[in-house]
Amino acid sequence: MPQSDPALPLAGIRVVDLGWITAGAASSTLLLDLGADVVKVEGPGAPDPFRQWEGADLGTDWWNRSPFFAFTNRGKQSLCLDLKDPRGREVLLRLLEEADVLVENFRRGVMASFGLDPAMLRQRFPRLVIASISSQGETGPDRDMVSFGSTLEATAGLAALTGAGEAPVITGRDVNYPDQVVCLFAAGAIVAALLERDRTGQGAHLDLSQRELTSFLLGEELIAAAAGAPSPRRGNLDPAEPGERLVADGEGGWRVEWPGGSAPVRDGVALAAAEEFVRGTAVLRSPDGSPAKGIPFRFARRPLAVKDSCHDLGADNRTVLQAAGFAAEEIDRLEAAGLLATAPRTAKRG
Amino acid sequence: MGLAMPAPLAGRRVLDLGALCAQRPHALAASMAAKLCAAYGAEVVRPLPADGEPFASLPPLLPDGASALHRFLNAGKRPGPATGWFDAAIGDGAALAAHAAEVPVKARLSVFGPDEPDPPMSELGLAALSGLLGIVGEAPPAPPSRLAGHQVAYSAGLATCTALLAALRAGGEEVVDVSLLDVTAWLNWKVAAGVMVIGSAPVRGNAKATWFTVKARDGYVALVYQDKDWPPLRDLIGDPRLLEEPFITGPGRGANRAALLEIIGPWFAARTRAEITAAAQARRVPIGPVKYPVELLEDAQYRARGFLAPDGTPSLPVGWDGQRLVREVADAAV
Repeated sequence: MPQSDPALPLAGIRVVDLGWITAGAASSTLLLDLGADVVKVEGPGAPDPFRQWEGADLGTDWWNRSPFFAFTNRGKQSLCLDLKDPRGREVLLRLLEEADVLVENFRRGVMASFGLDPAMLRQRFPRLVIASISSQGETGPDRDMVSFGSTLEATAGLAALTGAGEAPVITGRDVNYPDQVVCLFAAGAIVAALLERDRTGQGAHLDLSQRELTSFLLGEELIAAAAGAPSPRRGNLDPAEPGERLVADGEGGWRVEWPGGSAPVRDGVALAAAEEFVRGTAVLRSPDGSPAKGIPFRFARRPLAVKDSCHDLGADNRTVLQAAGFAAEEIDRLEAAGLLATAPRTAKRG
Repeated sequence: MGLAMPAPLAGRRVLDLGALCAQRPHALAASMAAKLCAAYGAEVVRPLPADGEPFASLPPLLPDGASALHRFLNAGKRPGPATGWFDAAIGDGAALAAHAAEVPVKARLSVFGPDEPDPPMSELGLAALSGLLGIVGEAPPAPPSRLAGHQVAYSAGLATCTALLAALRAGGEEVVDVSLLDVTAWLNWKVAAGVMVIGSAPVRGNAKATWFTVKARDGYVALVYQDKDWPPLRDLIGDPRLLEEPFITGPGRGANRAALLEIIGPWFAARTRAEITAAAQARRVPIGPVKYPVELLEDAQYRARGFLAPDGTPSLPVGWDGQRLVREVADAAV
C-alpha cells in the first residue's frame, strides 16, 4: 500500500470498503480524505452499480469510465475479488486481519450469505470497526424493507413536513438526501469508534440506519409531536425567520430575501459558475484533472486534498494481496481461477 | 449488567459556543456538533449570553411554551462559563477568538470558508446558493421546496463533529473549518457534478424525475422505483394502458406524469398506505408510506430498536455492538 500522510488524523488506518453507490462508498471516501488507506473491494459478478452509466459505450471498458463512479471513488485502491466463492472469502478474511475498518451497505443478509456475518467478524477480529450502513438497521420488523434514499425521506417524517404545495415532497434521484447526509454521520461514527478503540482496545459493530438518521435530523419535531404539538408543513416558511421569503425574480427563477440579505436560487449551471463555489471544497479536482467529490471541511494545520485519481477495476489486485502477505504463486492461482479480475464477469450493462 | 457504555470522548471537555454565535445557521450547526460530542461521552459546557439561551424561544414550541428545538439540541449539556480546560471548542470565528483562544482544537463555522467575509445568511439562503433549494420540489413554474427542519445547519453540524473527532484523534492543535455553503453544496453534488462532469445539470421536475408522492386513501406514499421495478409495479396496478406508449420508458412516464397519474392515481387512492407498501414491498418495489412525526412515535421498527425515548427524543442514530448510547447528565441544561 502507498504510505499515507503521517500527519493526517487517520494515517495508518486501513479501510476495506465494500460500499456501493453513495452511502457506503462516499463514507469511505471521507475516511480516505482524513488520511486512511482505502481498498475498495468489488466482485467480478457484482461490481458497484455506480459503474453502470447512461453514456457507456459497450465496446469499451465502460466499467472504468463512469464519471460519477470516478468522482466518488477517486484515490481508492481497487481490488476485484469474488466474495461469493469460498476462496475469495478467505482472501477477504486475510485482508481483514490487517484492516482497521470495514464499511458495507449491502442489502441486509448479503454479508451473512458471503459467510461474513458481522457478529462472526467481530469475534474473529476484535479490533475491527465494522460499519454497516443500511436503510432500516440490522434489526426490527422492517429490516428487510426495500428502500432508496427518497423512500426513507417518506418513512422518516421528512417528506411529510416538506413541500410548498399540497403534496409532500421527496428529493428524488437527483439528491436522495439520506444517502448523502449519512456519509457525514457515518464517517464520524467510525472515527468515534477508532477513538474508543484507542481507549479500550476494542473494535465495534456500528449499526447505522439511514432512516433513523433522517428522523434524528428532525429531532425537535419528534419531541414536539410527542408533547402533542402539531407538525405543520411550512413550505418555504421558517417560523424562526419570519422576515424571510421566497420571491419570483421575474425571469422564471426565484430569490430568497431576508432582513439583511438576499440570494438567488441557483441551478447547477449557476452553482458551478459561482465564485464562492469554485473557491470552496464541495467539488475538487483529481490529479488527472477530472472533477472529484470534495471534502466538506478543512484543517488549518493538516491540509486535506484529493491526492489520487480513480483506479481502474482490479488495478491494485496484486499490490493489495502482496501487501497482505500473499505469495506471487497464490495470486497467480486466484487470477487463473477467475477470483481476481479486472473486468465484470458479464462485461455488459446490467 | 450489560457491557460498559462506549464513550469515545470520555474525559474530554468540549466548549459549545453555539449560544454565542452571531448568526443562527452557525449557532444551530455548532449546537448540533456539540450535541453529538455529548452523545459520544464528552462533557459539554455551553456558555450563555446575558439574555439567556437563544433557542429557548425558537419553534417548534411545546404546549407548555418551552422550545422543542432547545430540548433537542441542548439536552445533556451544562450551561456554564468558558473557564477551565477544554479539549475542543465549537463556534463561529468571533466566538472562538473571544472565548477559546487557548483551546487546542477549534471547530469554526463560516458561511463561505475561513478566508472569506461572513455575510448575513439564513439556512434558506444557503440552500438557495448551494442549488439544494432549486433542485427540490415540483417542476417550474411551481416554486422550489425547502427541506423541512434545519437540514442545512444540522448537516454542517455532522460534518463539524466528524472533523473534530478526527482532529482530536490526531492530537495537538488544530483549527477545523466548516463552510456551511461547502457542506450544502457537497450534499448536492449531483447538480454541480452534472455540469462539471457531464455538461448538463439535472433541473427540478425534469423528465427523469419519476419519483414523487401519490395520494393514498389515508395520506400519501412515496412512489420510488428504478426501471427494473417498473414491470412488477405496472403489473401490480394492472391497467393495460400502462403497457403502451408513452408509459413504457422512464422518460416517457416522467414527461407524461399527469396522464400517468390519471391511470395510476385511482389505484393508489383506493388503498391505504400500508396496503400499498405491503403490495409493493412483496414485489421488492421500494415504495414507502409518508409518515408524520406523531406516527413515528408508534412506529414498530423504531420501537423494536429503541430509537425514540418516551418524550420523542431520538437516540444517536447508531447501534454500537447492539447498544444505544444514552447518557445521564447531572446539572444538564435540559
